Amino acid sequence: MTAVIAASNLSKWYGNVLGLNDVSLEVEEGITGLLGPNGAGKSTFMKLITGQMKPNDGNVTVRGQKVWNNPGVFQGIGFCPEQDIFYEDVTGWEFLTGLLRFYGYARSEIRERAARALDIVDLTDDKDRLIRGYSRGMRQRIKFAQAIAHDAGILILDEPLSGLDPLGKRKLIKLIKDFKHQGRTILVSSHVLPEIEALTSRVVLIHQGKILAQGDIPFIRELIEAHPHQISVRSSDPRALAARFVGDGSIQKMTFAADGRTLVVETHKRDEFFGRLTGVVLEAGIAVDEISSPDDNLQAVFEYLVGE
Amino acid sequence: MTGASAVRQVFGFFSFLVLKTGKTRVFAILGLMPVALAVIRRVAIHGRSGLMTAVFTEILMVFFLQFYIVILALFYGTSVTAEEVENRTLAYLITRPIPKPAIVLGKFAAYSLLMFAMVALSLTLSYFIMNAARLSDPELYLTFLRYLGVLGLGVLAYAAFFTFLGTILKRAIIVGLVFGFGWENVIQYFPGSTQKFSIVHYLKSLLPYNPANVRGGRGVALLLFRLEPTAPLTAILTLVVITAALLALACWVFRTKEYLYEE
Repeated sequence: MTAVIAASNLSKWYGNVLGLNDVSLEVEEGITGLLGPNGAGKSTFMKLITGQMKPNDGNVTVRGQKVWNNPGVFQGIGFCPEQDIFYEDVTGWEFLTGLLRFYGYARSEIRERAARALDIVDLTDDKDRLIRGYSRGMRQRIKFAQAIAHDAGILILDEPLSGLDPLGKRKLIKLIKDFKHQGRTILVSSHVLPEIEALTSRVVLIHQGKILAQGDIPFIRELIEAHPHQISVRSSDPRALAARFVGDGSIQKMTFAADGRTLVVETHKRDEFFGRLTGVVLEAGIAVDEISSPDDNLQAVFEYLVGE
Repeated sequence: MTGASAVRQVFGFFSFLVLKTGKTRVFAILGLMPVALAVIRRVAIHGRSGLMTAVFTEILMVFFLQFYIVILALFYGTSVTAEEVENRTLAYLITRPIPKPAIVLGKFAAYSLLMFAMVALSLTLSYFIMNAARLSDPELYLTFLRYLGVLGLGVLAYAAFFTFLGTILKRAIIVGLVFGFGWENVIQYFPGSTQKFSIVHYLKSLLPYNPANVRGGRGVALLLFRLEPTAPLTAILTLVVITAALLALACWVFRTKEYLYEE
């Protein structure tokens, strides 16, 4: 399959700060997830492929064309920025129709496209309200609407799910997947693994401006599995609980937290541990108040992968 | 989309958008100040039948020429590009299939038209309220048109200067204030050719020397103080060249410069 977006040896620095370091990446048709903690370089990469920045080194092309100062290429690109930024004093309708003017459509087509995009993001009833008065979720949806209103073949979505409620997230995830089935190329960034996992199996891990790993979800999961997880279990009798797990081979280490009520377990086999925990709790009748995984976040995984 | 068509679309979008901003409301109210003064002057001090002197016209022209058009151009001109960067809305514009210079030219045209409309409305009302007793005098209308033309050229030249400033500087307003109310105010009174390094010199060179021959009037003596005028045609050409050159520079800078948002 040929690359729709191709970056080769792409580097970008802000003064002394390295934003992106020698990144080479090919994005093909379908959904590709760009996964990384905040400040990893996801937005920098997206700004480079949407011509908002020019690289200090390397080059980037979209469908074989350079991006910087090449307005023609944007006929086929829809971009949803990460920041919560708008022309605040216009209504959702005015915002969409205003931006659609830049594609050279006739007035009737502009209205038609704006109405369709608003319908897709469920904002038809609020189209005449000022954006200033929109909720966070509505703002996120109108931002998404402006990226899809011109039916671009390539969608660059920078953290599109942030700020949405669970229902809104589910709807948007379904929508993005529908776009995939229409043969579009979609690059989505997020710092939340389950969000990316719900969207695609093709993932690029980015950290400190470098691509750490890329592949499908099982591959990434394997990397994550190698990372010992910490799980905290707060219960009425943490010592009794610990006694039940002493002989369990999946557990590497157990400690008690300072509050005297929390058992902290370190394991390589998280799913296996959770399976055993359910059985133990039911069997011994130990009341469990809370289960949390303090390092179950990307930052911890990345730190593990880069050996910090 | 072709360049001209893109400029037209940007113009259309921002002509609409700029009307909704608080800035426009503030400057429109500011434009009512000379109108209110004209009414007060005419009704309260001189009475309805009194012949207004050119002195007051002169004061009004000082307001328009050395304050109103400068402050309008400063705030609207610098915001052509700077507000997009500061508000981070630039991403919505530069990821569209329109050339970057079209953004500058379209916004410049939209803002200039708005500025001119505000100036024209304010001047028209204040001028004719003050000269209401002479409405049958054809000379009055010629003088008015001349004032309007001078202010129109002033709006364009200043706006182009501040637009350029906005593309190259992060804090263009501060530098603009120093230029508009420092440099322009001082340099115009320098003798010889030094005063030609100001925009206001060329605008003043186009003012009528003896406007409307009003009885007891002094023309625009205050405005013409120490002026060593440039020939009208040369002044017009200079203003047009200043406007065109600065706009071309602004377009070039905006096209080649990378704007990074402050985190």
